[in-house]
Amino acid sequence: MQKKGLWQGIYQKLASPKLTVVIFLVLAAASVVGTLMPQGLSEAEIQRHYGQRAIWFITTFGLNDLYHTGWFRLLLLILSANLVVCTIERLPKTLKVFRRREEQVDPEKLAKCSLNCQFTSNLPRDETEARLISIIAEDFGTVQRIDGADHLAGIAEKGRWSPLMVYVVHLSVLLVLCGALVGSIFGFKGFMNILEGEAVSEVTLEGSDRGLNLPFQVRCDKFDVSYYDNGMPREFRSDLTLIRDGKEVLKRELRVNDPLTYDGVTFYQSSYGAILKDAEVELTDRKSGAVRRLIVLFREWVDIPGTRDRAQILRFDEDFRQLGPAMVMLISRDGKEPAGSWILIDRDFHGNKVGNYKVRVLRASRIPYTGLQVKQDPGVWLVWLGFAAMLVGIGLTYYVSHRKLWVWAEADTPGKGGTKIIIAGRTNRNEISFEKKFNRLCDRLQAELGQEGGGSKP
Amino acid sequence: MITSSILLAITTFAYLLCALLYLSGVIFHRRTIMFWGSVTGAATLAIQMAGIILRWWESYQIGYGHAPLSNLYESLVFAAWAIMLIYLVMEYRTKQRALGVFPSLFAFLAMAYASFSTGVNSKIQPLLPALKSNWLIAHVVTCFIGYAAFAVSFGISILYIARQSRQEPSGGALSLLPDLRQLDELNYQMVLFGFLWLSLGIITGSVWADLAWGTYWSWDPKETWSLITWLIYAALLHARAVKGWRGNRVAWLSIIGFCCVLFTYFGVNFLLGGLHSYANMK
Repeated sequence: MQKKGLWQGIYQKLASPKLTVVIFLVLAAASVVGTLMPQGLSEAEIQRHYGQRAIWFITTFGLNDLYHTGWFRLLLLILSANLVVCTIERLPKTLKVFRRREEQVDPEKLAKCSLNCQFTSNLPRDETEARLISIIAEDFGTVQRIDGADHLAGIAEKGRWSPLMVYVVHLSVLLVLCGALVGSIFGFKGFMNILEGEAVSEVTLEGSDRGLNLPFQVRCDKFDVSYYDNGMPREFRSDLTLIRDGKEVLKRELRVNDPLTYDGVTFYQSSYGAILKDAEVELTDRKSGAVRRLIVLFREWVDIPGTRDRAQILRFDEDFRQLGPAMVMLISRDGKEPAGSWILIDRDFHGNKVGNYKVRVLRASRIPYTGLQVKQDPGVWLVWLGFAAMLVGIGLTYYVSHRKLWVWAEADTPGKGGTKIIIAGRTNRNEISFEKKFNRLCDRLQAELGQEGGGSKP
Repeated sequence: MITSSILLAITTFAYLLCALLYLSGVIFHRRTIMFWGSVTGAATLAIQMAGIILRWWESYQIGYGHAPLSNLYESLVFAAWAIMLIYLVMEYRTKQRALGVFPSLFAFLAMAYASFSTGVNSKIQPLLPALKSNWLIAHVVTCFIGYAAFAVSFGISILYIARQSRQEPSGGALSLLPDLRQLDELNYQMVLFGFLWLSLGIITGSVWADLAWGTYWSWDPKETWSLITWLIYAALLHARAVKGWRGNRVAWLSIIGFCCVLFTYFGVNFLLGGLHSYANMK
């Protein structure tokens, strides 16, 4: 019994439109926090920026990756539940109103409408009827007749389905959220850096150290950057070849804004860079003064001739602290723990030394690489569908309102051949323009059909 | 030789004149002056449009060839244009001239900021590879029509609050304004219109992001702030439709919403950075 009460309580909370507004505002506030707090910081960076005390707070609430935290997702879930429950609660009523056809018009009710006018026509009933109907039809649509034996009654309406559009918008939000969910479960997002001339099938997944192997290889035949006269980049271009089972299956140029999709996987030109293949260096032994030239490889030990020492290049930076290209060179003496240091490649810098060697770089050969964003998202079409539905829904909500006009006419009681007419109108939106139209109609009818007989015109 | 900069400089001062005409019309209670405000506004809109088209043509002459919607300067100019366009259409349909004070003032401020601030470069620049897409036009135009509608709604909201808090006798400075009910209705329509275009703007941006960056939503500060703006206006629409909020509260929500618009537009560029940072490129 108590359990039922709990669920009912939750259901009732979820059905409240107040919750919708509150959730909107809470989501907005949470998003604000997410933009003020840099996202994706590591714990070390948090500690440096915000201090030791803040770490606990920030990591507990996941403020450094706010949009992917459980509580933010819970907010989205509550919003979805709220949408669904509100729809369950309201849609049947809206549909009932939508389907219901009025079977009679009650003149007393019309006279109580906030928008109504009453007057008496001097013309005979037949003529009054004909003109009434045709004038109303011009602006308010065809009049559906539900006459009684002794009177004329009719309803003209437009945009009957307009109140349903809200549900289309709600459905669209659910579609977008579903699409995002499908994408995050069944899809992946990652990147791959491919050296010019190299073929790669492994994708590094975003936000994790895991890799993923594509069932085909991507080869970068060439990467090219072109520039405008003023030095701004004009275009990044990779010439790609896709290889499946040893066969070239697709050759294409990849540019920014022009992705390539193959086998459900989409590639985007996203970054570029270069790695160092090898460097020819001149090593001067600071003790003996002996000078040796050799080629050092990237991340591979090379013996220094005439010694028992070895060297390798560990890292490369195209622009190290704005001092130009530089590399980290390691030298290991007699098989001991290696010593390493940054060596500036383009400058003969006094700090260019490792251990007891002075280093001068004679030549450094780079290999450019292209950075591709790689993605598979089976949920994206749901998102597009949701977007389309949202635009249709909001657009029609804006442009179409449900306007209804009732008309009722019967022979005037004193029986002088005149006709008593009551007209009333209602709209669910754009009241003022409807009012104007309604008043224009009344003025025109009165001018053409007869004299004023009271009624209220706001 | 007429250049786009000359036309846009004329535009700046003409909007000032336009705002002054509307303002003095309201203050001195003269409909004729406001009529001349409308005439000035419409003429300036035409001049500005010519300026924008000319700038487009000039960019092709230089060899860059892109729509004038690519940086802060160009977006400010377009924002001013969109605000006045939306306002003048509304004025034509409602015949309410006294509402023109704020839109023309905003248009002038946008143009003045674009022209006189040292932080805004008015030179025609080439497009970065990331911006080279037809989606640029669709995205920027839709967003700024939305922003412009919200700016007009912001003006209406201020007038609503001013009108409501001062019960002055007929003949006062605010008496040329539409009545409260009409202001509220206009405000609502403007918000709904802006909401439609903001949604379109976010959606076109999202489709474009999927094409350029490989993800339709990346919680970039600009994206997030546009969503925050969207949520505020969505809250407004729901509060009005379901909870029956009217008048003052709606006006205040609209003012908050417009503050979000301003932050999305300027605050994000200057304070937060992110993927959209080419917008403040100098």
